Amino acid sequence: MWWRSPSFILDREQQQQNDSVPPNPESLFLSSPPPSMADSLQNPKSNISAYYQTRAAHHAVVTSDWLAQAQAAVGSHTDDEESSGIDGRAAATDEDGGGGGGKAFSVIDEFNSWRKQPDLAEAVAAIFALAAVIRASQATTMMELEIELKKASDSLKSWDTTSISLTAGCDLFMRYVTRTSALEYEDFNSAKSRLIERAEKFGEISCKARRIIAMLSQDFIFDGCTILVHGFSRVVLEVLKTAAQNKKLFRVFCTEGRPDRTGLRLSNELAKLDVPVKLLIDSAVAYTMDEVDMVFVGADGVVESGGIINMMGTYQIALVAHSMNKPVYVAAESYKFARLYPLDQKDMGPALRPIDFGVPIPSKVEVETSARDYTPPQYLTLLFTDLGVLTPSVVSDELIQLYL
Amino acid sequence: MPDTQALVNDFLNQLKKRKIEGSQATAKQTAELLRSVISQTRVPYTNQAGALIDSVKAVGERLIAANPVELAVGNIVRRVLHIIREEDVSLTTAAMAGLNLSAVSDDEDDADRDDRPVLSAAAVAAASRSTLRPPSLQTLLEDVPDSAAVPHTSSSGGDSEGKSKSADKSSRSRKLKHDVIEAVNELIQDINTCHEQIAEQAVEHIHQNEVILTLGSSRTVLEFLCAAKEKKRSFRVFVAEGAPRYQGHLLAKELVARGLQTTLITDSAVFAMISRVNMVIVGAHAVMANGGVIAPVGLNMVALAAQKHAVPFVVLAGSHKLCPLYPHNPEVLLNELRSPSELLDFGEFSDCMDFGSGNGAPLLHVVNPTFDYVPPKLVSLFITDTGGHNPSYMYRLIADYYSADDLVVQRRPTSGN
Repeated sequence: MWWRSPSFILDREQQQQNDSVPPNPESLFLSSPPPSMADSLQNPKSNISAYYQTRAAHHAVVTSDWLAQAQAAVGSHTDDEESSGIDGRAAATDEDGGGGGGKAFSVIDEFNSWRKQPDLAEAVAAIFALAAVIRASQATTMMELEIELKKASDSLKSWDTTSISLTAGCDLFMRYVTRTSALEYEDFNSAKSRLIERAEKFGEISCKARRIIAMLSQDFIFDGCTILVHGFSRVVLEVLKTAAQNKKLFRVFCTEGRPDRTGLRLSNELAKLDVPVKLLIDSAVAYTMDEVDMVFVGADGVVESGGIINMMGTYQIALVAHSMNKPVYVAAESYKFARLYPLDQKDMGPALRPIDFGVPIPSKVEVETSARDYTPPQYLTLLFTDLGVLTPSVVSDELIQLYL
Repeated sequence: MPDTQALVNDFLNQLKKRKIEGSQATAKQTAELLRSVISQTRVPYTNQAGALIDSVKAVGERLIAANPVELAVGNIVRRVLHIIREEDVSLTTAAMAGLNLSAVSDDEDDADRDDRPVLSAAAVAAASRSTLRPPSLQTLLEDVPDSAAVPHTSSSGGDSEGKSKSADKSSRSRKLKHDVIEAVNELIQDINTCHEQIAEQAVEHIHQNEVILTLGSSRTVLEFLCAAKEKKRSFRVFVAEGAPRYQGHLLAKELVARGLQTTLITDSAVFAMISRVNMVIVGAHAVMANGGVIAPVGLNMVALAAQKHAVPFVVLAGSHKLCPLYPHNPEVLLNELRSPSELLDFGEFSDCMDFGSGNGAPLLHVVNPTFDYVPPKLVSLFITDTGGHNPSYMYRLIADYYSADDLVVQRRPTSGN
């Protein structure tokens, strides 16, 4: 019995399998390839996107055993979905087996070890992992190194297709490597060491980006204002922290951010800074919007249209704010700019996550488990990035300049 | 030195007393003043650009503080600072390229950047060029953000010091000053000719038998309309009178004198007439970085009327009006309250202004703001001396004209004082 997933991506994946194998769960389970090599590379919980696991680990109040419980609660249909997940992933890993992934050294392991550090953004972890590739590489020419890096970054990207900032980080670094600046060094070793050095500086760059954003946004926070914040974002926290340090008087409304309850964490942090905070349930946004002076959100990714991809609920908050003429400000580092152009909500592969409803959900009831949504640019007022305060249309300009 | 000081003080007085009408005149006088400041500044051998920047900044801060509402002053100060940086960098790269080509042993160059492996001249040039540009994704991974984030002195200081050792010092210092003054002259020229530049584009926008609406009076608009008339376009102009100063009356008079079919209406009739109008063309006081417009009072209403009837709302602005700042509460902070005498006759209302009655304050208050803020979404098109632009594109022009380091220049004195 096939479980119909609410997201078309999974449907498509299942359809592909329908074509190849008879729709019999048992034979399907047998036909899934032996997880020898895939085992180390694949996600343990293929039902939940890797992107989401990082978020859960870094931002959320929920713990990993809670995740496991939720996993169990999702119930009977998991195994066939799981097998489909394995199938898709194994195919991906097979392809890159010859490259950086197949050797003793694995980009993905490297990436995962970097990713564990709570203060490190995903794009930074990706760039660190790619730097490790350069260090381990035995290439003797720039071309070889580039090919090796390309393979590594492709395998990283295909390992977790749901993470936008991972893809953006890989692309940005690849662009830097292929761009002229690196080729201007006369000998290969100095070019190589320069690349490694710059990649390692990237963590610093990302921290500095946060500080720049916090400084830029100070002008926009005035005394006596009320700020609505959705989700937990390190940049937004930095912005509010700086504002509090500058002795600005402001009040923050935090949405609860179900089901990860990211808002709880943010309100916790803000309470420590003695900022007046009020927690709202997610559905109280429109109710409180008339008291709000501005909306501040972070972003998982900024896409080419100037819109953002962020935690589920950002879109509706932006819509409410727009209809009540309140500015919506986005704080995002520029390495989150991604070459995507989603036209609607379903254009990106959904990042799935478990949702705890507190009571068992009958198996016939569908659950929307996507973790994020797309907010089109016309609902955003300004983007605060380390490149400056930008209108949404500038984003595509920057991206075109980089990738032209 | 003392005579520039006198000039500066004189100009400060004029700004404080609001003696200078119009942002074009202000911009021009500011540029001329800064030019004389630059020519009077003694430049040391090392870090000449830094010395020039410091002296321009010192004067600029006071000018901006004298009339913070007149954004053109700040714009010109920043433009001049940007010019100095630009000229310095172009001299530096020229010297650098010369060094690398001529000298086989480029020891100074190595000592200068010993932290890096050997760089080719092109790389050096590229690196120094990009210090001026606003930070972008391209430069994110390169060294540049570091130097851009640090305050201005380091960006020019270290570089020029290294160079002047090898290059002929005195000629170089004179060269920099000379180049800067040349560029400022060009800027003044640009300010002078911006009306003509904008008016040249008139025929592309005004078509036969159209009806144009404007409010108040702006020289840019006048020239724009006349330029279209001269090219044998026949069209009609509705002029809203622009209370309380009624400058629309003057504009109407001028237009009639130049043979244009003109209709004068009251400001409150804008909504009634807008359905007949094909295009609204207005001038601006300043254009902010987000594409919002600080404009004579009453224009927000016109913009809303235009939006309601889907009439294009076109703003004409010379490039000296482009301001790199974002507006924060512009209706209050970037506004000026003028004398109530423009609204009413003191003789007639003197009894309402009686301070003796009640709690000592008069019951009648008169508020006479000068400017309106028109949000960017109400503007269809900006026409500047470089062509027509979308509101969301204004940031690009601003990035061309100003360097990122200078944006804060003006913020510091206001917090310091």
